[in-house]
Amino acid sequence: MKKLLDIVSAFREYIVFTLCILIAIFLLTVNDGPQIRAIRSITIVSIGFLQGALAFIPNYFDLREEHRILRERNLNLSSEVSLLRESRLENIRLRHLLGFKERARQHYISANVVGKNTQLLRNTITIDVGESDGVKVNMPIVTDGGLVGKIIATSSGYAVGQLVLNKDFRASAKVQRGRVDGIIVWEGGDMLLLKNVARTLDVREGDVIQTSEFSNLFPPGIRVGVVSEISQKQGALFQTIEVTPGVDFNRLEEVFVVRHQPDTSRMAVENRIGR
Amino acid sequence: MRRIVLYLLISVLLIILHTTLMKYLAIGDIVPDILVVWIVYVAIRDGQLAGTVTGFSIGLAIDLMSGVDGMLGLSTMAKTVCGFAGGYFFNENKTFQTLGSWRYIVAIVVTSLLHNVIYFIIFLQGTPIGWSGAVLRYGIPTTAYSAAFALLPMFVFLRKYSS
Repeated sequence: MKKLLDIVSAFREYIVFTLCILIAIFLLTVNDGPQIRAIRSITIVSIGFLQGALAFIPNYFDLREEHRILRERNLNLSSEVSLLRESRLENIRLRHLLGFKERARQHYISANVVGKNTQLLRNTITIDVGESDGVKVNMPIVTDGGLVGKIIATSSGYAVGQLVLNKDFRASAKVQRGRVDGIIVWEGGDMLLLKNVARTLDVREGDVIQTSEFSNLFPPGIRVGVVSEISQKQGALFQTIEVTPGVDFNRLEEVFVVRHQPDTSRMAVENRIGR
Repeated sequence: MRRIVLYLLISVLLIILHTTLMKYLAIGDIVPDILVVWIVYVAIRDGQLAGTVTGFSIGLAIDLMSGVDGMLGLSTMAKTVCGFAGGYFFNENKTFQTLGSWRYIVAIVVTSLLHNVIYFIIFLQGTPIGWSGAVLRYGIPTTAYSAAFALLPMFVFLRKYSS
């Protein structure tokens, strides 16, 4: 027994190290259980509270630039609003004529970004609204610039959002002008990629990319970004389409959570045939 | 016992700092990993066992706070390895010499690189993003920034040791 204790004592660093690694591996394999979700919910509340308390610290270097950008955007939006008013009236008239069903307006929950985790590709944000405000997992997050991401975890007063610039993010999208469908993914860097677009289809630089009707998570028509570069590799079936996101993720301060829930009847029928 | 409580308090404080205020020191999307700097400090000061346990505890706390689905245990593993590797720079008779010299910076660079390689290999599993590219784009700059950050305690110890 003493000999065994001596051996354990002599190799204690290695034994503890092995135990810690085994626990880490165990956690990696069983980490989506209800207990873990409950612990995470508690940590989101605590860290969200702290981040919220410290959110008053302004980033002075950015304020001036932000002011300039906002003034510029305000000017552009004013002229766009008047054009859109005209278009909306025209749209209403045409819808009535065609007997189209009026699409339900989306309801938004405004939120402040109290924490940002862009370290080592984690790319998530913490916002100061949660379940008590009606926020649920998988609800889309947007700004005036377009799609920001989706909710992946909630607590009563806070929620964590997965950014579009995240390795796990996928969204069905389409080219606004040409109605070409694809899938928006991120593979590192500042750009997004529109994947699965055949090389014969018409996509041009400057085309606006928006969420499509194929997505069950995101309502159609949310702006994602603008096509900035198209390349075609020899022998490849698909084009490589780079999309500049519409949202400036470095200046993300206020966002809106869209009260949009997946259409369960649609999901049920799609699941029934194994889609 | 007093030292354990002190280490615990400092660890909690650094975790809070890391998750709340470090974004203000970000250069682009690169943030110094002060937790690696701290874990390596503990490993050099108190040895491999202390480094491993500190790395494990801090990694677990970070995993629970990150809210990233499906990756609980990732930081735990990476930071445990970081603490264990940092322990190889431990020399009982030369603790302050190590902390006040370039050996501390070398330890940060080695352990931080190891941390980032392990992190990205697991984190990017099943995605088209290559881990080596991610290490080049994010891991190496994070390591460099953390090492630069560690110059501060290094010079403090250098001064303390010289006097």
